[in-house]
Amino acid sequence: MNYSNLTQRYFDAAAALAGVLTGPGTGRGAAGSRAHGTWVQFDLRVDPGEARSIQAARFLAYACPHTIAAAAWMAEAAVGRSARAAAPDSAQGLRERFAIPVEKLGRLLIVEDAWNAAIKACTGSTAG
Amino acid sequence: MNAPVYLDYAATTPVDPRVAAVMAQCLTLQGAFGNAGSGHAFGDTAGAVVESARQQVAAAVGALPAEVIFTSGATEANNLSIFGVANYYRSQGQHIVTVRTEHKAVLDPCRELERRGWRVTYLAPRPDGMVDPAQVAAALRADTVLVCVMHVNNEIGVIQDVAAIAAVCARHGAARLHVDAAQSAGKCALDFAAFGCDLMSLSAHKVYGPKGVGALLVSQRRGVRLEALHHGGGQERGLRSGTLPTHQVAGMGAAFRLAQESAGTEGARAALLRQRLWQGLSALGGVLRNGAEANSVPQILNASFADVEGESLLALVWPHIAVSAGAACTSAVREPSYVLRALGRDDRLAESSLRFSLGRFTEERDIDVAVAAVAQALTRLRKIGGA
Repeated sequence: MNYSNLTQRYFDAAAALAGVLTGPGTGRGAAGSRAHGTWVQFDLRVDPGEARSIQAARFLAYACPHTIAAAAWMAEAAVGRSARAAAPDSAQGLRERFAIPVEKLGRLLIVEDAWNAAIKACTGSTAG
Repeated sequence: MNAPVYLDYAATTPVDPRVAAVMAQCLTLQGAFGNAGSGHAFGDTAGAVVESARQQVAAAVGALPAEVIFTSGATEANNLSIFGVANYYRSQGQHIVTVRTEHKAVLDPCRELERRGWRVTYLAPRPDGMVDPAQVAAALRADTVLVCVMHVNNEIGVIQDVAAIAAVCARHGAARLHVDAAQSAGKCALDFAAFGCDLMSLSAHKVYGPKGVGALLVSQRRGVRLEALHHGGGQERGLRSGTLPTHQVAGMGAAFRLAQESAGTEGARAALLRQRLWQGLSALGGVLRNGAEANSVPQILNASFADVEGESLLALVWPHIAVSAGAACTSAVREPSYVLRALGRDDRLAESSLRFSLGRFTEERDIDVAVAAVAQALTRLRKIGGA
């Protein structure tokens, strides 16, 4: 399968953005299942102040290169954003950004669901 | 970056330079370029080349030269066998027995016959990929006219006991045994007569010959009859009309001769390489072997890798090694191998499997590259997956 340059770049860099976060201000959200072929988890650390900005983000994924690249990009793009703001991108936006085949849109919805679950875990409400 | 190491010999092999040299002698004015069907000297020269190749193929597989029908490859041979038998013997019955792990070149013709009203029984192999002859015996019916069981499975390399299955068919009396042996030549003992098969498909490009040529063996001893699928010219005993491609046929003959001469040494060498490969892979953890090791050709090793997603695994190893995946890419979304699923592997393990197939030009350092590439991929993907 051919991947866009951006997909390849973030798939190659994914291991550096993968991992988990623990401690105060940390929230975790996951979606999908390994048994069904795609699972994504985000850990977000949000500052306790009014801004609720995301200080750190990590992800884990059992997924195809497109999905891993998208999740890695989300983790990287999250830092510095307000947890109350919209996600760095929507499933459809990720699909266009990474030139992902439409057949894989469902996998990107799993990325979106995992993100929203992590935001909810941090803030008690879904993003944006 | 270096070119990937080729470990996909079960998909196809490069033409052996000695075979290419033989083929080149059949192409130009100075060579055997004539039409083997022509009565003049050029035709006689080409005809002699074709008959020599027929003898070489026959000698390599324990058949009579007259039993060799050249085709465009094993897929055509399988189609000729299945439809040819079905059309000729349909008045005797319309039931076929085959196995879920057969190649698509057998399964798809069987499905087409089902659409035409035939009944097909698809046997489930054991988890190690083997088919028990007793399963075949139990599936035979009074109206069974054909049994299709492949010799060496292309994905997992297991060798079926076709001699025992042939004996089952012989006891039945009316069930002819067709064996797809596209993967067998040069990899394991192959003896058409001793096995007692009625029909057998062969391929040249799996054994360092050219693509575009194969053969169907049709047993004369057993008096098998077929209805032709192609008409016009009456070549190949009327079973496969069309001018014979002399260079392709000569290449197949040379390839089978070389395979016969080197099978023992190549098999022993491949067994050592595969052992080295398995030792390296199994040390990585979470690696499951697919197919019976004891009953498999030494050139093929199929393994599933736990805790990694199949497409990502391929994306990481393909820059380093050319191997086949345990999933077919029919669209952007991959389908798990039906062969591995038939063995009971779940979809995830079927998708994360790799088939390593070794060959004449594989060296130890290629194996080491493969192990290193898989190790690196597993480490990365298991970290990303939190496994």
